[in-house]
Amino acid sequence: MQDLVIEQTQYTPAISMLTEGKISLIGKSYPENTFEFYKPVIQWLNSFFEEGSVDSLSVTFEIIYFNSSSSKVFFDFFDVLNLNKEDKNIHVIWQHDVDNESALEAGEDFVDDFPDLNITIKTTD
Amino acid sequence: MEASPLIEEIENLKNSFLQVSDRLVKDISRQEKIMLRSDRRQKKEYDELQRKFAEVAALQQEIEETQKEVIFTMGAIGESRSKETGNHVKRVAEYSRMLALHYGLTEAESEMIKQASPMHDIGKVAIPDLILNKPGRFNEAEFEIMKTHAQIGYDMLKHSNRPLLKMAATIAYEHHEKYNGTGYPQGTYGENIHIYGRITAIADVFDALGSERCYKKAWEDEAIFNLFREQSGEHFDPKLVAIFFKHLDSFLLVRRQFADQF
Repeated sequence: MQDLVIEQTQYTPAISMLTEGKISLIGKSYPENTFEFYKPVIQWLNSFFEEGSVDSLSVTFEIIYFNSSSSKVFFDFFDVLNLNKEDKNIHVIWQHDVDNESALEAGEDFVDDFPDLNITIKTTD
Repeated sequence: MEASPLIEEIENLKNSFLQVSDRLVKDISRQEKIMLRSDRRQKKEYDELQRKFAEVAALQQEIEETQKEVIFTMGAIGESRSKETGNHVKRVAEYSRMLALHYGLTEAESEMIKQASPMHDIGKVAIPDLILNKPGRFNEAEFEIMKTHAQIGYDMLKHSNRPLLKMAATIAYEHHEKYNGTGYPQGTYGENIHIYGRITAIADVFDALGSERCYKKAWEDEAIFNLFREQSGEHFDPKLVAIFFKHLDSFLLVRRQFADQF
């Protein structure tokens, strides 16, 4: 399997998914066809757990703005992590700007919904 | 033994049904949560947008008001140099707006003409007092200097990209042009003279003739009207002269409303 790198656009975040076990999604997320856009992301994640040889995975989310479909996709993303939490050492960092309450709330939702995942909410100034 | 594959199949179906229904229940409740969050988020965002829009609108108004005030003040400076009253500026502004509107320009453009026309004489700030306030007629040399105020006003305003100031530049430049081509500074004629210039020309002359100046008494109305009739198609755009006479009552009303106080 290969690294997946998607450049940032006005509507979509910069996405980097590295086979060495590092994932980051940084920017805004309100594509017109959200599910289509994130299909390869979820696919990559599934393949990583099926084929990946490294023991740990660190995921950084730094999403400034997102639509409700993105929110749904992120839940799906966390579902996949949750299913595989026994096999790999997974650490998620949900990073948000101090002024961005919506992003903080979304992060708190993930912590509530996935109590067994190691999720850290990080506030930046 | 015959039944076991069937049982196995049913068991499998049951399990997958349970899995699927679990998944569905989870999805539905999650969907509700997402919607709830999204609604709250959208409400907050829209509130914020409205607040920002209101802020922008207020700023826009502030800018427009400032622009109007600056323009009006500049016009008043020009007028005060020549010892004319501030009401001349106000009357010319209002006449110009009415002429523009009856000519068929839009409400917005007519309002802009009202705001820009007070600057028509701004170039007079550069004319020496001795000439500007000379009682009696100019000699030829003096008149040549006096005439430069149109070009000077234009040069002062022409660099702006603001629509209102651009309009004011055109007005300053062309308000002494005559329909028959004998005006200044360019000597253009007919509809080659910008409508803003043609409008301000008639508004300015109507008011100037009816007012007392350092070099002349106020004219009687009949004398003014006679001149307008004579000068239709000569000094003035005949269409505008026709509009002036058609709506004479409202022009006279404005003149009374903004009469000079002595």
